[in-house]
Amino acid sequence: MFERFKMSAVEVAEAHCDGPCGVYDPAQARIEAESLLQLTKKILDLKVPDTGDQKAGTAYQNTLTRFIVIKEERAELAKHHLLVLWTDYFKPQHLEKYPDLHDLFWKSAKLCSAVKQEISLEHAEELMDNIKRVHEIFWETKGKDVPWYTAS
Amino acid sequence: MREADWKDRILVVLGRQWAVRVSGNSMCPELEDGDIILVRRVRDLGVGDIVLAAHPFKKSVTMLKRIAAIDAAGRMELLGDDPDESSDSRSFGNIPVEHIRGKAVCRLKHEDDKKSAREKHERHEI
Repeated sequence: MFERFKMSAVEVAEAHCDGPCGVYDPAQARIEAESLLQLTKKILDLKVPDTGDQKAGTAYQNTLTRFIVIKEERAELAKHHLLVLWTDYFKPQHLEKYPDLHDLFWKSAKLCSAVKQEISLEHAEELMDNIKRVHEIFWETKGKDVPWYTAS
Repeated sequence: MREADWKDRILVVLGRQWAVRVSGNSMCPELEDGDIILVRRVRDLGVGDIVLAAHPFKKSVTMLKRIAAIDAAGRMELLGDDPDESSDSRSFGNIPVEHIRGKAVCRLKHEDDKKSAREKHERHEI
């Protein structure tokens, strides 16, 4: 009787904020960090044309500028997605289990800035490592076994 | 929150208590999204009670919040246990007692029994 009752005439009461989708996934930050890593590699691999070749020089400037502009944007997006996880998803009870959580997010946000400002393969890879750790902690808190993967 | 017993079920049949499904996580960890609780009309409400209340600005919405304080005019300050997930008196102010429909008294069903069992297992309690 009660099972039927539970499924039918049950009033619903809201216990949330005005706009909660409740959907979080570190994959958003991972995708942006992967882009940063690839862009950093592409910039480092870009060949500087011989001086005097104006056409090649213009093409080089154009490509480099585009890489830098996209890297700037992606770094901001990576930081944004990390901050959303940090401030909206993670709760004090998570911090009790993962005491290095604040440090992890703080350093990750700093790395986003470093990758934006520099052409540093080391920092881009370090950012990916940090986001992998965020991924592990996040899915542990969800009680789900979600393996880490990359798109590139 | 305590689990419902046979007396609570009788009170439901008699119409003295009714079931409410929790939607959202503002009352975590006490109440989780999907939990079903029993609510009862009571006269004596106090700070710390979880209450079912009508939203002051949205007629179709009822909400579950905890009484954080009662002001001199008898109005209730309602807050969610998880402030990051809650819209409450911080945004709509204190509400009159007439908006309180009942007090949450027990839990009829926990949404994530499997998860709870797993957590206990991890703590080596079972």
